[in-house]
Amino acid sequence: MKQFGSILGFELKYYLKNKVFVGITIFLIILIAGVMFFPRVAELFQSDDTTSIVTEKSVMLVKPADSGQVDLYEQSFAGAFAEYDVQITEDSEESIKEKITNSEAACAFVITSPTSYTYYVDNLSMYDMNTEIANEVMAQMYRLNALVQSGVAPTEAMDIVSVQVMGEVESLGKNQMENFFYTYIMIFALYMVILLYGQMVATNVATEKSSRAMEVLITSANPTSMMFGKVIASCLAGFIQLVSVFGSALIFYSINKEYWGGNMIIDSIFNIPPELFAYLLIFFVLGFLIYAFMFGAVGSTASKLEDINTSVMPITMLFVVAFIVVVTSMSSGDIDNALMVVCSYIPFTSPMSMFTRIAMSTVPFYEIAISISILIASTIGIGVISAKIYRVGVLLYGTPPKIGAILKAVRKA
Amino acid sequence: MILELRNIEKSFGEKQVLTGVSFMAEGGKAFGLLGRNGAGKTTCIRILMNVFPSNGGEVLIDGKPIDYNKIGIGYLPEERGLYPKKIIIDQLVYFAQLKGMSRKAAIKSIDYWLQRLGMTEYRNKRLDTLSKGNQQKIQLVTALAHDPDIVILDEPFSGLDPVNAMLLKDVVKEQIEKGKIVLFSSHQMSYIEEFCDSIAILNKGKVALCGDLYQIKRDYPRDRLVVRSVNPDKITRDFGTACTVCEDGAILIQLDSAEDKKAVMTRLVNEYDIDEVKVYEPSLNDIFVQYAGDSAGRDEV
Repeated sequence: MKQFGSILGFELKYYLKNKVFVGITIFLIILIAGVMFFPRVAELFQSDDTTSIVTEKSVMLVKPADSGQVDLYEQSFAGAFAEYDVQITEDSEESIKEKITNSEAACAFVITSPTSYTYYVDNLSMYDMNTEIANEVMAQMYRLNALVQSGVAPTEAMDIVSVQVMGEVESLGKNQMENFFYTYIMIFALYMVILLYGQMVATNVATEKSSRAMEVLITSANPTSMMFGKVIASCLAGFIQLVSVFGSALIFYSINKEYWGGNMIIDSIFNIPPELFAYLLIFFVLGFLIYAFMFGAVGSTASKLEDINTSVMPITMLFVVAFIVVVTSMSSGDIDNALMVVCSYIPFTSPMSMFTRIAMSTVPFYEIAISISILIASTIGIGVISAKIYRVGVLLYGTPPKIGAILKAVRKA
Repeated sequence: MILELRNIEKSFGEKQVLTGVSFMAEGGKAFGLLGRNGAGKTTCIRILMNVFPSNGGEVLIDGKPIDYNKIGIGYLPEERGLYPKKIIIDQLVYFAQLKGMSRKAAIKSIDYWLQRLGMTEYRNKRLDTLSKGNQQKIQLVTALAHDPDIVILDEPFSGLDPVNAMLLKDVVKEQIEKGKIVLFSSHQMSYIEEFCDSIAILNKGKVALCGDLYQIKRDYPRDRLVVRSVNPDKITRDFGTACTVCEDGAILIQLDSAEDKKAVMTRLVNEYDIDEVKVYEPSLNDIFVQYAGDSAGRDEV
């Protein structure tokens, strides 16, 4: 136990004095400070000189099918596309195309009949919603026309066509729209920290081995203490880093709260329910430990630092796959799909997938308890096996051994 | 204090590395563990230090199984290496703490050793800024700082200049005088002969020879004479095929039997101009080659 304390202290000091560690933390804090202070700074510039920010609108050309309805088209399109400078044109299609390629206009609607048109645009953006809006505008114009022609008074027809439906959404479970951003940030932080620190643990072990400091270490300390000391030190370091980054974000946010006035994303991030934080902590610690143990064990089988990258590849792949499953399910909106449910019980994927399910959907408590129990048991199991691999691995030099050979040696040791 | 390894067996997978290895080392004396590369010396040391368990046999201190919590072991591994990027005092204190010392006691002891080895000026430097010989002296501090009962030195003199070798000799002698068990492993036979009272020669995982070095030498048949003379040609002519001339000019005369020793010696002294005549005793080098060489194991039973 005394040994474990010495190892923990020594290793933790290694992280806290590591220039890369300190550098990344400071960089992240500065980055967050920059983001959080941005509205305040932006407002300073705005109040000085308001006229300078009038942006020039890009041009949208509209060519009506029949010249009799020019005014109506101009009104409707200008009303629907407020962000464009809508201009009615009589040009030929060729010259319209030319204008777009020459960037004189951003896009153009050439209307061929009351219910059909061709949309010209230079590069069609993924987020281009113009055709949907135009469909709506033209359908409205068509209905209005039809109503007027069948004898309804124009004002009445207008009311019918432009009727507004009022609706309210009340989510009984979780509101995925609100939860999405903070869940994503947390999952991503988990992903980054585990990969970064896992690599650091593996490199740390391999460095001791390649510098032969291991010869003295292994004869001075118990390998289980070594493994647990290293991994828990890296976990503490990762935790310190996360707390300093998110803590400073919270401080900067509270300083600048008024300037962010009602930004839904930012507000949702800083209004995470406390019980979710507790779950985050549990899954962070367990997920971190289980991967750090594996990284440490793999690091002990590599003789040279160059071998590390190839040796840790299978673990990294496993983790990346888990991340992709979670992120894909998050963006699909179907959080509780079969794959996610299965993943939330597998110890290597559950830290991310169970946490995501808790954050974005409603999971019965017993499911959470089972998942955490499996994770705790596996973490301890992996920890003990890793310490054994470590004990065997650190004394093997030369080409990294095959997994089977290691397991055989571990069983005999 | 007596350290005893009794019938140690060890195999890695299919490969049998140690077979029935037994030897005894006494406190206040140095013990030489010899063997060619791959003979099993390091495995023996690792079992002794409890890095991994043996498949059979015991490690005993004064007849009782060794208690690693009570018996301190200091080890200078053949593969030298500490943390190259870390401050020397930091890592030395860390290693001493791992051996159970308090931080305060560790610093005090390390400062003593740094001063003793003339390394105080490097105390707060990074290890990789030091020369190889100086790094080795730092490594020696890790083996001695916690005042261990058993000191294991694997090739302690390799890479040291004559001045540092002298310094290390003094340190080793001091450790022996303090009554510690000093276990030497080296291929430099002259150092073993200088320090060790007892030796064990390992060959292919078995103890080929073990015992008191003086006695081992005495047990060789005393049927050869070493003769130095100003006029060696006359002797070689008269003794004919019984003579071999050594590289250093001495003549080795093989006797028909050890009983002839006195007669031949008298004859040599009376009839020739002799500088020196003595019974030949094999050097440790000769003994090593005989017991650990390629032909070893075929000659003996």
